[in-house]
Amino acid sequence: MSRPVNPRAMAPARAGRTRTAAPSVPDRFWSAPRMRRYLLFDATGITYLLVGLSILRVVWALGSGPEAWQTVLRQFRSPAYLAFHALVLLSVVYVGVRFFGLFPKAQPPKIGPASPPPGPVLTAMLYAAWAGATLVLVLVLGGVLP
Amino acid sequence: MKPLLLRLEPVIWLLFGAGIMLGTILLPGYLLTMGLGVPLGVLPAEALSYERLHGMLSHPIGGLVFRLVALALIALPLWKAAHHLRSLSVDFDGHDRDGLVGGVLYLIALAGSVLGILAVIRL
Repeated sequence: MSRPVNPRAMAPARAGRTRTAAPSVPDRFWSAPRMRRYLLFDATGITYLLVGLSILRVVWALGSGPEAWQTVLRQFRSPAYLAFHALVLLSVVYVGVRFFGLFPKAQPPKIGPASPPPGPVLTAMLYAAWAGATLVLVLVLGGVLP
Repeated sequence: MKPLLLRLEPVIWLLFGAGIMLGTILLPGYLLTMGLGVPLGVLPAEALSYERLHGMLSHPIGGLVFRLVALALIALPLWKAAHHLRSLSVDFDGHDRDGLVGGVLYLIALAGSVLGILAVIRL
C-alpha cells in the first residue's frame, strides 16, 4: 500500500517525453532502518527545542539574582532534570556523530580558489573542535579555569 | 506564509546550519557541567556559585565571551530544532500545513532568540 505525495515535489521544470508514475511513499516508510535513523535525526529537534528554552530560563535566572539562581540549581538536582539532561546529551552526541559524518560529503569541490581538505581530515578537524570546545567549557564551568 | 518562508530560506538555513554545527559543539560542555556534573556532585558546587559566575561576567573580555556563548547556547539549538521539526512534519504528510507549521516553529525560535539577547544583556 502507498499513499500519494505532492506530485510536483520532484518534477522537472519542463515535462520530458518519458511518462513517469506519480511519486508515492510507502505507508510504513518509517519502518525501514535507514528511515528510522533519518527520522530520529529530525526528531532530535524536540530535545534541542526543550534544552534551548531551558538554557534561556537558566540565563534569565542568573540575571535575576542569587535566589532565582539557587532555585535553578536545586531543580537541576531532581531526577527528572537529570534524566532530561542525560537524554539531551545522548541526542546531541547522535546529531554530532551523524552530522560530522555527513559534513565532508556536502562540501563543494572549490571554496573560492581553495579546495576543502580531504574528508577524513575535515572530520578529524570537526571532532577536534567538538572535543576542544567541550573540554574548555567543562574546565571553565567546572571551576578548574580560570 | 509559505512564500515568505521561501524568501527567508537563506537566513533560515544560515541559522539552522549554525544551530546544528555550533549548537552541537557547545551543548555537551554545558550538559556535562550544569546539567549533570554539578547536580550529581562530580564537580564542586562552588564552580557554579552565583558569586563566581558574576565575577566571570564582570571580566572585560571573559564577560563578553560568556554572554556570546550563553546566547549561542540559547538561540542556535532553537533554530536547529525549528527546521528539523518542520522537516519531520513534512515527512509525515505535512506538505499542506507546512506554511503554518514552519511559521509557528520559526516564530518560536525568533522569540527565543530575542529573549536570549535580552537575557544576556541583563546579566
